[in-house]
Formats: sequence, C-alpha cells, structure tokens
Amino acid sequence: MDRPKFKDLLLRSLDQNSDPEELSGKIEEAGVSFSFSEGFQQKVMNKVYNAGTTVVREIEFIKNLNYVFYRIALPGIAAILLLLVSIYLMEGSFSFNSILGLGDNYDESIIYMLTGI
Amino acid sequence: MIKESYRQADDNELVTAALNGDKLAFGEIVTRYQKMVARTVKGMLGDSVYSEDIGQEVFIKLFYSLSEFRGEAKLSTYIQKIAFNLTLNEIKRRKRFFSMFSQKGNNEMYEFEVADHDSQGKNEAAEIVNKALMKMDPKFRIIVTMRMLQGYSTKETAEILDLPLGTVLSRLSRAQEQLKNILPNL
Repeated sequence: MDRPKFKDLLLRSLDQNSDPEELSGKIEEAGVSFSFSEGFQQKVMNKVYNAGTTVVREIEFIKNLNYVFYRIALPGIAAILLLLVSIYLMEGSFSFNSILGLGDNYDESIIYMLTGI
Repeated sequence: MIKESYRQADDNELVTAALNGDKLAFGEIVTRYQKMVARTVKGMLGDSVYSEDIGQEVFIKLFYSLSEFRGEAKLSTYIQKIAFNLTLNEIKRRKRFFSMFSQKGNNEMYEFEVADHDSQGKNEAAEIVNKALMKMDPKFRIIVTMRMLQGYSTKETAEILDLPLGTVLSRLSRAQEQLKNILPNL
C-alpha cells in the first residue's frame, strides 16, 4: 500500500461510521503489528511465580502504606493544631513546660519525688 | 490437563484453573492476550524497553487481581482496563518527571517518546503509525489506539475507559482532526 493511501486508511479508521474491526485488520495487513520480545511469557511467569512475587508484595505494601498515610495525615495535623490552640488558651504561652504539661510549681515536687529530699 | 486443552479452554475455565494454582493456565492467558496488551502499551508509550516492563506489570497485576474477576465482563476487557491504567500512570509519571526538569512542558515529553523509539528495521507503515501516535495528545492517543490498533467500537472503548459514549465520540472526532494535521509532516 502506498504512503498516501495508507495515511487515508488511518484517517478513515477514526470515522465514526467506519467499521473499526475491518479497518484495524487492514492496518495490520499493511505491516503495523505490535508484539513483545521473544520469551515475554516466560519472563512474566518467572516474575509471578518466583522472585517477582516478593517485589510485587513490597510494592503493594508501600502503596497501602501511602494510602493509609494520606488517610491519617490530615486528621493528625488537625489534632495537633487543636492541641496547640488548647495549650495556648490554657497556659497562655507555647513554652516547653506548657507543651509538656508542667507548671513551674511542679519542679520542687518532682525533685522531692526523685530524690526524697 | 494437557497443553493442547488449554488452548481450547475458554477464558473463565483458565481463570478458575489459574486461581487454583495452575501455572499452565495462567501461562495460556498470557500467551492469548500478550499481543493485545502490546498494542495498547506500545501504541500509548512507543516501542521502548519501558513498554515491555509495563506489559509485564499488566500481567503481574492481573495475576494478583484474578480473584476479583467475576466473569461479568470479558477477560479481555478486564485486562485492557489494567493495561490502560498502568500505561496512563506511566505517562503521568513521565509528565511529572519532565515538568520537574523542564519549563517546556508536554511538547518535550512527546519528543522524548519519539526519540525513544527503536524504529530500526520497522516497515514504513509501522513507523508512520508510531510517530503519529507519539505526536498526539495522550488523551486522544488512547482513543486512537483502541480504535485504530485494537479495532474496538466506540461503545467498547467507552466501557474499557469508563468514559461516557459522548466523550469518546467527541475525542474521536478531535483526534481525527489532530491526526489530519500530523500526517502531512510524516
């Protein structure tokens, strides 16, 4: 098939009223065929039944982990923000002690508990 | 079951056997549908080594999702959906990669795909189709691949791609317009 005729065939294959099965057959007859390399099936079988199994499972695990992360990331950030706001409202500052829930007056009792003095 | 009987078995029988651990049955599924997957993957990504990897991934994913196949749709449609999704993911990955390193956007990605082709030894017709497909917008490329290379009807294409029939028809018409502009330069 010459070049202009082949190009026309390609365009006709996209016509809404054309018969796609017939025209794709003609395109294949013109020499357009796609295939994987020799031994493709064997490579797939090896990956599925041997080494590939672990890899695929690992990929699945990472995908699942990713999915879970996105599910918990936003609620997690929201909870942290709420906690910080409540600390600020209750303690009036973001000092290290207020974040840990320790007031200045607790220092002596902690020393007493630890040392007994 | 001897090897010859696998060739005569229908898809549902092969799926059931593969689910029961029959390696030969799954091997027959791969043999039966590898050309179809090659048309989709290579039509969308070009004839590169990456296409071969995606092709393998399609069947690996099929293997792990065989239990979800209920036999309501044809096995070929089920495999096509996997092939389409994995290929689309690869296109998106390439797009992200190129947008990270280049300001030129999609055009450069298409050029990369053309350059990636191993067109040596291919006949003229195959080369025209490869180059034309790689110059097309990916959303039109898949429609053209389904129609031109796989011979699917508009309805079948809509079913595989999970798109409304009207969208497929409109994309088909726009793809034809794009192809009209591309072909004179090839």
